[in-house]
Amino acid sequence: MSRATFGDFLQAAHDGLGPPSGAGSYAPRGSVEEVSRSLLRVVTVMGRYVQDMTAGLDGIGRRARPPLHPWARACLQVREALSNAAWFLTDGGPNRRWPPSPAASPLARRLDAVTVSLTTGRDLLQTHFAPGAGSSWEHRSEWAVVVTSPPVTRALLAEIALLSRRIAHQGAGLALSPPAGVPGSAPERRRLNAACQWLWVLDTSVRAAQQQEPVAAADRDLMAAIPVNDLPPRRVPGGGEPVAVLCEGAITSAERVRHLAWVAAQDAPWSPGMSTGSLRQVARTSTVTSHNCHILLGTLAACTARAGQAQISEGLSAAADAAGRARDRWLRAACAIGQITTETEGHLSPAAIEAGDLALWTGRLAYADPQWTLVSGPAHPGRPPESLVSRPEDVPMAVAAVHQACETLAQLPQTEWEQISAAAQVGRILVPTSTLSSDYDVPRPFARAPHDRVEQLLAEYRGVAQASRQAATAVGEVAVAIQASSRVLVTARQAARASQPTRASKTADHADALAALRDPGAARESAAVREPDDTPGPIEHTLRGLGVSRPDLLTRGAELDRAGQRFLIDATVGINRQHKRPSAVMLSKTTATAALVNNALASGDSRAAAMLRGPQRPQQAESEAEREP
Amino acid sequence: MQMNEIAAAAGRLQQASGLAAILDAACGAFEDMLPVLWDRIDPGEPLFIAMLTAATCAADGRDAVLFAPSLPPHRRPAAPQAGSGQGSVDVVAGAVAGLCMLLAARLAEAAPSAADHGDRAACHAAARYASQIHEALAGASPL
Repeated sequence: MSRATFGDFLQAAHDGLGPPSGAGSYAPRGSVEEVSRSLLRVVTVMGRYVQDMTAGLDGIGRRARPPLHPWARACLQVREALSNAAWFLTDGGPNRRWPPSPAASPLARRLDAVTVSLTTGRDLLQTHFAPGAGSSWEHRSEWAVVVTSPPVTRALLAEIALLSRRIAHQGAGLALSPPAGVPGSAPERRRLNAACQWLWVLDTSVRAAQQQEPVAAADRDLMAAIPVNDLPPRRVPGGGEPVAVLCEGAITSAERVRHLAWVAAQDAPWSPGMSTGSLRQVARTSTVTSHNCHILLGTLAACTARAGQAQISEGLSAAADAAGRARDRWLRAACAIGQITTETEGHLSPAAIEAGDLALWTGRLAYADPQWTLVSGPAHPGRPPESLVSRPEDVPMAVAAVHQACETLAQLPQTEWEQISAAAQVGRILVPTSTLSSDYDVPRPFARAPHDRVEQLLAEYRGVAQASRQAATAVGEVAVAIQASSRVLVTARQAARASQPTRASKTADHADALAALRDPGAARESAAVREPDDTPGPIEHTLRGLGVSRPDLLTRGAELDRAGQRFLIDATVGINRQHKRPSAVMLSKTTATAALVNNALASGDSRAAAMLRGPQRPQQAESEAEREP
Repeated sequence: MQMNEIAAAAGRLQQASGLAAILDAACGAFEDMLPVLWDRIDPGEPLFIAMLTAATCAADGRDAVLFAPSLPPHRRPAAPQAGSGQGSVDVVAGAVAGLCMLLAARLAEAAPSAADHGDRAACHAAARYASQIHEALAGASPL
């Protein structure tokens, strides 16, 4: 069973809101007071997400703050918008908590479902962190650096904006609906509408950042793929499993090795898990795994060549060669680790045990013998190509399994290097005195490893890391090309590299991600998926309400709405900066005014926010973000 | 030359008398087989994984004896790390498997006579690693 991912809860939040606007929208029904209370919960949990991203920036003085990248600015504007929306939803009301019974209003129930999904999703992300010293957060998994990375922060903001937009449409629809069918006082309606207007402002802020630096589809996929930090249980093949099960087993084992190795690298240098027994087991089994990957990639290259996929086949052949070179480097490392020892020989770390399982899973995939083991004997005929890939659709699954294994082999040398390096510093790396030159006179059979021997060993691991990374990159290129599920590993690596300073310190404020957002160096592509702006404006809405269905008239009505939007926005931008702005509640005073302002805010034009916020000088937006309403 | 090392190690092991001498000979045998095995590990050979497993176990076996309390502190220098060996992979595998069979037997004999728990544990662990090497290589060995 696969682990829960953040995408599961994000999808649930979208599903909770019902179909997108324009595709069978709900009729506005329910109590304004109840919906306002439920909307406040959504806004509150959204605010917590954004607080996670911006917490560290509060400590930086406004004047000391460097010019912000569009996404960092959007982050602060989103916080401001959510803060203002929350203020309107609490203004004049009691301290609202969850009522004893579920909401009766359909929209309130949908919003409550969104709250639950978003809260659970945030809890999932938080499983990758633990409180550290002061206000910092310590990483608890290799995914933590991805969670706080700029690409995921951008993708998260884009999702919050998308949800806000949909909620604003539904909430404002209720606020401006005829009083007969919807219980709620005029002030309550104005406040609900004002909150929705700030949600549109939120969406507009994110759109502005998107226009300058769009969120890549791969980054959204990465965000959705973030799993709960709960290691899947250990599994070993029983024998005779079908290829699909073997692929799944190899993927799970690869994930387990990565996590266990990451955990081991956090251990103290005198940990018993850091032993030559573990190091040898990892080096030996990783040699076997890379050999298995070399065989599997060759088999897959043959399969795809026969299927006429010449380019994919070439990529797989190149990856097979790279895996072969990685195997040769692992072999050298295994030999080098045989020449040193530690005083805790025999103890095997969980990562070393799991590395053996990974060799077993990939071996069962690579070889024809369903009972293959690492000590099966000399001859091992490979699995026939038609057995590995019986249909073209099976290729991505097999590539994903090999890619996961190669990515694990690319990360292992780094964690092993860190452990050896730390152990050497405290004198735990030993050598038999019989291997030392006669210059040494040590009255024991073993002695502390000379510096040059440790350096040679570490150099071997640097070589393994480089060769294994090349192999993982080569397989990753194929995985991306054929849309294998493991392609998210490629994006995760890019995201981790974008957060490199954070990883180096092993602890992180989520705000580090915000700081990193100032660096627009991450990969980007224009693949942002936005809902079309299909909310009818007031004229088109009125026409539809009157029963007008002629397309030419509805088109003309929509044109007039757009002209009205532009007119309002242009007029707002042009007015004197000294003029005191009306509050959002004032702009919602009459239904007609509210509908016009809502229509302008929903346009996505960043200038429209000036109706609520006022015209901004550079940097003013960030400064205002700190103002509590 | 390398096959000679294996034969010499087997000779020292057979002649060793007393716990300290057996531990010394066992440690030397593991050390001597290491370069022989690493020199013959070839991914293109059917015995690739078996030889790799044997080499790893040989290092583990050496370490098991290395920390035995009764192992003499001053020991002869280890054999060279690499060199062009003689004999096919199969022949080397057979010779090392034979040496390990002897190793396992001598260490198992020595264990009960050890007064120190550390020595007994070292003998048992090293005998186990020797058996594992034999198991990995015996498929191709002439034994």
